[in-house]
Amino acid sequence: MSPLVLALLVGAGLFGIGLYGALSQTNLVMIMMGIELMLGGALVNLVTFWRYLHPDVYSGQMFVLIVMTAMAVEMAVGFAVGIARFRARGSVEMEEAVELNG
Amino acid sequence: MMASPGQTVALVIFGILALGFGTAVFRTKSMVRSALALLGSMAAVGGLFFALEAEFLGVLQLMMMATEMTIMAIFMVMFMMDPGGLGQMEMTHQKRASLTAGVVSGLIAIGLSTLSSWAAVVAAAPTPSAQLHDLGIELMSRSMLIFETAGLAILLAMIVATTIALKAEEKR
Repeated sequence: MSPLVLALLVGAGLFGIGLYGALSQTNLVMIMMGIELMLGGALVNLVTFWRYLHPDVYSGQMFVLIVMTAMAVEMAVGFAVGIARFRARGSVEMEEAVELNG
Repeated sequence: MMASPGQTVALVIFGILALGFGTAVFRTKSMVRSALALLGSMAAVGGLFFALEAEFLGVLQLMMMATEMTIMAIFMVMFMMDPGGLGQMEMTHQKRASLTAGVVSGLIAIGLSTLSSWAAVVAAAPTPSAQLHDLGIELMSRSMLIFETAGLAILLAMIVATTIALKAEEKR
């Protein structure tokens, strides 16, 4: 099997596991963990494409840096929402957040 | 052209570790263990980057994820009634639908990966020093606007996060 396909399979697996986690968990922090795994899968794919298809063009690595920024932003805003929710309701269980009104 | 056998072996080992730890995140009732498993998965992704000869990104991934997961573990302990999972609380819903969505999306991605006709694999990557040099040139020339936008996005996220997290009376 080509190393390109091998690495893409890992990315696909991480994405699938992350999607399962993001949809199945009721806790905000666990949902964020699922999203992190999905973005991790995207990172693996981007580095794989850069390495095996165009290692001389650095747009691929640039794209990885942007996805890492998205991960950091997601964490910061997610935890801020968690703090606000915890202050308002004393819990970050998303089952209870049906109305999204604080 | 094929990659070296060592590289393929490294890809397999780090790939199995990333997927194994990724699965462990959602298999334990302890949230602290989940955070540590996610750290393991992300560290294995960092290892994958090294195997793919993207050393700078590998180091960045390891440092960023170690910090992120530490923060995540601290938030777990602060927010959760039972961060250690001693009470065996059930914290999942719509498991069957989620599992179906995860498996189907994973299978679609696997199908696309294996059935697409990719171009021929490039055998050699630039050396780490050449990569750093060229990435620096890329960041400061063609992709400068994107790079600056990413910095601005982080600044905005910090302001937004602080504003959301402030108490109502502190906002006034």
